[in-house]
Amino acid sequence: MSLIISSPPHLKSRLSTSYLMKQVMIALLPAVIASIYFFGIRAVLLIANCTFTALITERIILLLRKKPSTLNDYSAAVTGLLLALTLPPSVTWYAASLGSIVAISIGKHIFGGLGANIFNPALIGRAFLMAAYPKMLTTFIKPNSVDAISSATPLILRKFSQVITPNSSLFFGKVSGSLGETSAICLIIGGLYLLIRKVAGWRIPLSLLLTTTISSIILYLINPSWGSIWFHLFSGGLLLGAFFMATDPVTTPTTKKGRYIFGIGCGILIMIIRYFGGLPEGVMYSILFMNALTPLINRYTKPRRFGT
Amino acid sequence: MIKVPEHKEPQHNLVSEKFLSPSKLYLPLAQHTGAPSLPCVKKGDIVDQGDVIANARGLISSQLHAPKKGKIIDIANWYHPTLKKSPAIIIQCQDEEKEYLPRDNKDIESLSKEKILETIANHGIVGMGGAAFPTHVKLNPPKKIDTLIINGCECEPYLACDYRLMIEKMKEIFMGIKLICKLINPKEVIFAIEENKPEAIKKINLFISTNKIELPPIHSFVLNTAYPQGGEKQLIQLITKKKIPPRKLPLDVGCLVHNVATCFAIYQAIYLDKPLIERLVSFCGDGLVTPRNIWVKIGTTLKELIDKKILEFRKDPKKIICGGPMMGIALDSLDYPILKNAGGFLFLADGIDSAKEEPCLRCNRCVDTCPMNLLPLEYVKRIKKNNYSSLAEFNITDCIECGCCTYGCPAKIPIVHYIKTGKNYVINNK
Repeated sequence: MSLIISSPPHLKSRLSTSYLMKQVMIALLPAVIASIYFFGIRAVLLIANCTFTALITERIILLLRKKPSTLNDYSAAVTGLLLALTLPPSVTWYAASLGSIVAISIGKHIFGGLGANIFNPALIGRAFLMAAYPKMLTTFIKPNSVDAISSATPLILRKFSQVITPNSSLFFGKVSGSLGETSAICLIIGGLYLLIRKVAGWRIPLSLLLTTTISSIILYLINPSWGSIWFHLFSGGLLLGAFFMATDPVTTPTTKKGRYIFGIGCGILIMIIRYFGGLPEGVMYSILFMNALTPLINRYTKPRRFGT
Repeated sequence: MIKVPEHKEPQHNLVSEKFLSPSKLYLPLAQHTGAPSLPCVKKGDIVDQGDVIANARGLISSQLHAPKKGKIIDIANWYHPTLKKSPAIIIQCQDEEKEYLPRDNKDIESLSKEKILETIANHGIVGMGGAAFPTHVKLNPPKKIDTLIINGCECEPYLACDYRLMIEKMKEIFMGIKLICKLINPKEVIFAIEENKPEAIKKINLFISTNKIELPPIHSFVLNTAYPQGGEKQLIQLITKKKIPPRKLPLDVGCLVHNVATCFAIYQAIYLDKPLIERLVSFCGDGLVTPRNIWVKIGTTLKELIDKKILEFRKDPKKIICGGPMMGIALDSLDYPILKNAGGFLFLADGIDSAKEEPCLRCNRCVDTCPMNLLPLEYVKRIKKNNYSSLAEFNITDCIECGCCTYGCPAKIPIVHYIKTGKNYVINNK
């Protein structure tokens, strides 16, 4: 009889990295379906392009780093998928591929791969494209249009034309915008799924959304033409960011208190950019900025010692 | 706190059995917290059942008794679950079994506190929940105790020995509690138990309501089933809302916690004049044909139970664990003896987890479930980089090694293993 010796506990949950990543993809499914419904074949191609480029890049870099393949943990696939959902549907194939390559290589592996990166890889990819192709990344098309008529997003309309899009269009997603961010209801379903399955923590999304809600109430009372609570919650990348980007465990604080601070910080920055900044939307930069602050937040929010 | 699969069936419903006729007994001198006992017999001596074979050495130590009549065949190093090899007294047993008759109740009423304490010390009683702290030391606290907590939680999965004891020996447990009350005179007694033990809860409430045994105000406290609330610090926090400060003891917040099996052992020592030479042990796991709860002599080896067909393998076990699956120790042989604090043994054959360690996702599950407010992932990060010097500021020595962090880790990192390494470093380099 040969007996296995290992340190306790001898009972372990069935939770695994690949399970968590698969759950994130399942949670993104409603948004993916909505994007295909609104943007058709462009959505399919863009998602496929980003995801496959991410997987290939991951494989090549792991070969170069002489590390075993970790494609089956699905983390690269999630990064590719998330990047696709943050890009305008009309983005060219080479830009999308390039974004995906940058996301995996510079966003993730430069720092040491899974678990070691400081910034959200998908957002690094998008930020790179924003700098490289600013025109392409700010040109959006109308949903359900065959020949890609360009059209402004609700946040652009609000900021530069003082036009407020009706809540129902925002809620169901019949507005122009990035691939996966248009339909609020699909993102809420996916986000709630993540929270109920305990894949993502609730502290960051809750504090982020509460902060935006409260600040939009205050600002709405000051000037109603700045947009209502519903407008600010359902437009732009807020829900996608709150549920899927700001909950990325790797790049957010580890302490409970720190996670509230992270969410509140993101919420405040998003509203500052939306109301007072030069850009119509600020989810990406807010989350990246708070990612950079994460080590500092961790340091100052160490939990109170038991019994003191 | 976490929910873990309970695996309490069928052993919860199995009436306890007896195996009191082993052929050889192996009694390590270190079966308790504190200094190992000092043997007072030598090779070749004949001992009677209940004779002292090793004396307490120093303040925190305990007596050791011969569980059976027999001949001392050796005092030599033998298998020990935590110390690997340690000196043990080996007895070749004879078949006779001594009978213990209850003493007159009136004699016991008239016993002085000192006499009770002395009897408990002389009968080698130690905490039977796992820590094996000498009971007579715990029952002579330097401070006033307000709350006596009787621990019947048994929050480790699989184990059922405390539950069976509560069902079969509740009256004796209450008589033990009464003796403890006489010693420490608490303001209240709280009987803590988890909701997955309905029959025992009924019994406790019956004894409390009919008040057959005079006690200070006593309540039952039913907890939602969760792990590791049977731990002393967690239990006190849940019941009294008091948190024990670092490096302090329960008595510093006016509490004392005793396991039900210890209460039963105290009853036996005082009422029957029977030292701690037997205990109820759960043998479970899918490696056995049937799980069993058995009264065994302290010092019986697993091998003997297998050889005498007391336990039968359904299939060769891949892992044998002394204790529960969360904090128990994996054994490498069947030669290990059953010690005073061993509530159970697991024999696992299927589904042994050997998943590979993956990079930490910083998902925080370990932080969220840690009952001691620690940051397990930070320890792992630092220990992997051999950066031991920064561990102390993260209070690594507060860790109770309950295993919640490792249980829920999606990256399958053996966090407790890393923490033990780090703790050793911090303790040795103070």
